[in-house]
Amino acid sequence: MMATAETPRPAPHHAPASAEALAALVRTAGHEGRRLRIHGAGGWLDAGHPVDATDVVTTMAMTGITAYTPADLTLSCGAGTTLAELDAATRAQGQWCPLLPWGDDAGTVGATAATATAGPFAARLGQPSALVLGLECVDGTGRVIQAGGRVVKNVAGFDLTRLMIGAWGTVGIITQLHLRLRARPPVDRTFVLSAAAAATAEVTTFARGPSAPLALLAMDRDATWPSTLGVRPTPMDPSMRRWLVRVGGNAPFVSAAVDALARLGRLEEMDGATAWPLVRRHAAPRATPHQWRWDPLSLRLRDRFDPQRVLNPGLLGTV
Amino acid sequence: MLAAALERIVGVSHVLTRPPALLVYRSDGLPGHRALPSLAVFPGTRDEVIRVMRVLAETGTPFVARGAGTGLSGGALADGVVLLGLHRLKGILALDLDARTATVEPGVVNATLSRAVAPHGLHYAPDPSSQSACTIGGNIAENAGGPHCLKYGVTLDHVVRATVVLPDGEVMTLDRGEGTGYDLLGAFVGSEGCFGVVLDVTVRLTPIPEAVITLLADFTAVRAAADATSRIIAAGILPAALELMDQATIEAVESSVYAAGYPRDAAAVLLAEVDGAVAGLEEDAAAIERLCREAGARAVRVARDASERARLWQGRKKAFGAMGRVAPHLVVQDAVVPRTRLADLLEEIQAIGARHQIRVCNVFHAGDGNLHPNIPYDAEDPEASARVAQAMSEIMHRCIAVGGTITGEHGVGLDKLDYMPSLFSGETLDAMCTLRDVFDPARRANPGKVVPVRSCREWLVAPAARPTAPTPARLEARP
Repeated sequence: MMATAETPRPAPHHAPASAEALAALVRTAGHEGRRLRIHGAGGWLDAGHPVDATDVVTTMAMTGITAYTPADLTLSCGAGTTLAELDAATRAQGQWCPLLPWGDDAGTVGATAATATAGPFAARLGQPSALVLGLECVDGTGRVIQAGGRVVKNVAGFDLTRLMIGAWGTVGIITQLHLRLRARPPVDRTFVLSAAAAATAEVTTFARGPSAPLALLAMDRDATWPSTLGVRPTPMDPSMRRWLVRVGGNAPFVSAAVDALARLGRLEEMDGATAWPLVRRHAAPRATPHQWRWDPLSLRLRDRFDPQRVLNPGLLGTV
Repeated sequence: MLAAALERIVGVSHVLTRPPALLVYRSDGLPGHRALPSLAVFPGTRDEVIRVMRVLAETGTPFVARGAGTGLSGGALADGVVLLGLHRLKGILALDLDARTATVEPGVVNATLSRAVAPHGLHYAPDPSSQSACTIGGNIAENAGGPHCLKYGVTLDHVVRATVVLPDGEVMTLDRGEGTGYDLLGAFVGSEGCFGVVLDVTVRLTPIPEAVITLLADFTAVRAAADATSRIIAAGILPAALELMDQATIEAVESSVYAAGYPRDAAAVLLAEVDGAVAGLEEDAAAIERLCREAGARAVRVARDASERARLWQGRKKAFGAMGRVAPHLVVQDAVVPRTRLADLLEEIQAIGARHQIRVCNVFHAGDGNLHPNIPYDAEDPEASARVAQAMSEIMHRCIAVGGTITGEHGVGLDKLDYMPSLFSGETLDAMCTLRDVFDPARRANPGKVVPVRSCREWLVAPAARPTAPTPARLEARP
């Protein structure tokens, strides 16, 4: 059972290699009153609330790309697959899974989905919930659930996939994911745009228009991330502002978009391959402790899928 | 008495109880399935919906919500239970042009919303073929798709927030979670009326594209058209729509009032559309044309103007209606396969049809791998109906076998219930029952649909006696 005060041992670590092994672990935990802290690479260990756990479970042994048909633009992988592995495999085919969340590529695909962590390109290329076609998970009662599917359109049955995404592992532990991929834009350019602060509205309008860039990030005066790119966040002239902008598409599209941007201000081209990983690591919005909404429906959800509170107890507050 | 209580809320003229009056509501868009509701009630305001739902909850009455009844899976059939029609709630409540959203009541017709926002340069992107009749509420229930969902995404991708009344009468606002809650709206959209009733929904509006190019490629073999589809997707082009119609469909369309000028001697046509910024669009269209020709297209035609484009699309969108000339009934089927398996599956579908002596007309969202094998037949003929059912079952099982699914946009409803255990494990179906229980513990909303009741382990036990924590021993003891 639980470790007592006089036997301070480190919490037992488990790295199940399959959903079935994990399910057995969860059932045993439910039986014995143990409580599991679940993580991938461990980058999200402190999400604002302490987890009251007896054991630690990592998904890192459920790793690797299990299916990839480039012409279908779909890929399946274990939850412990790192974003770096996903990027390398898809890049080789001229594709990507545009999850590209804030943080670094040592993080796992499973944790990205479980926390619904988006990134600077989500508005244009899709939030995590739009990029996950289906998944396998183990709920708090030890059921192995195959949610959704591997094809790009699917309404068969109730949507357990969306339920697991962004639930922080408190409804189920994701073990496998089926992802939607996209082709990388044939032309992909990144610029620092310096324009009059008075032109902000025009810049915003451009970003919402037909030539919308993949991302447009305003450099706030006190932002520190621009310096990691070797860029001062604000020009010497206080009436000016700066943005980091990434334009992707076919050659005529990008060329027209760049012309339009050049009419708004001065453009300085950056090496996007270097810049964006730094931006994703350093420009993430400040994480705030969750004020999770425990309305009656959400409570019932937690009660029915994890009645024993085996999964990440406390992570989303006291429930 | 229930009818009297409901009449007090909505007025005598909005409650139907006599079987002849209820006949209209005995089926939806799925032929061969009929069921008469015990009563039909049509609230006219949000407040009336809530009060009706509370009366149904207090009396423990099962019910089925219905929009326009255009669904194709039998999901809106109310077999001896109350039918709750929502088509009178037609209000467009708010437009936020800056946020590009509209808040509407569930009975607003899909195309009406797009027309209403067109003066602002916006439209509602999900465009099911029934868009001139189907309601946004029904679209939410089914997570409806449509040709342009290839680029723009299905209904869920366009829903921001919904106020719903749960089966127990409680009113709740659901959203996508957004880091502070579970994605309850994601679970609700596509729940086929089993989780509650929409009172209002805020949907995302999409700018009308700056430019559109529509192409019609003409093939002498279905395989070549499917192959062209795979090449276009694999090349990384994201068309707004990519629709395939086979010879049987072309023939039906061209013989009807919806004649679109499709080449009657083609084995298949691909209707491809690209849209977006002017810059770069012609290059995408040229690439599609080149890939079609490389796959064996005999000719590729580009619509010269808006009226030619409208005509090409009318043939596609009215193809189901055109098939009304062929036989009294039409099953519009729905399944999805990986896009690289399209050509193989189309051949298998033809072989299955031939084996059962039925005609299969394919008109579908090729770009998504979303098949619609349609079978015109006479539902009054039991022998023909049996052959159609057998062919459908074989087609569904082939789609499952190649890694696909049994429905991409029409829902499970009644029609696909029997295939669910072939697609999902017992534990997965049981988890779906658990999710249904979260929203509707009394199990009164759209009873008997989506998940076979026998899949729900805990449902086999009386609700009051349900244990809250299944032990490992119970988990292994499958009923």
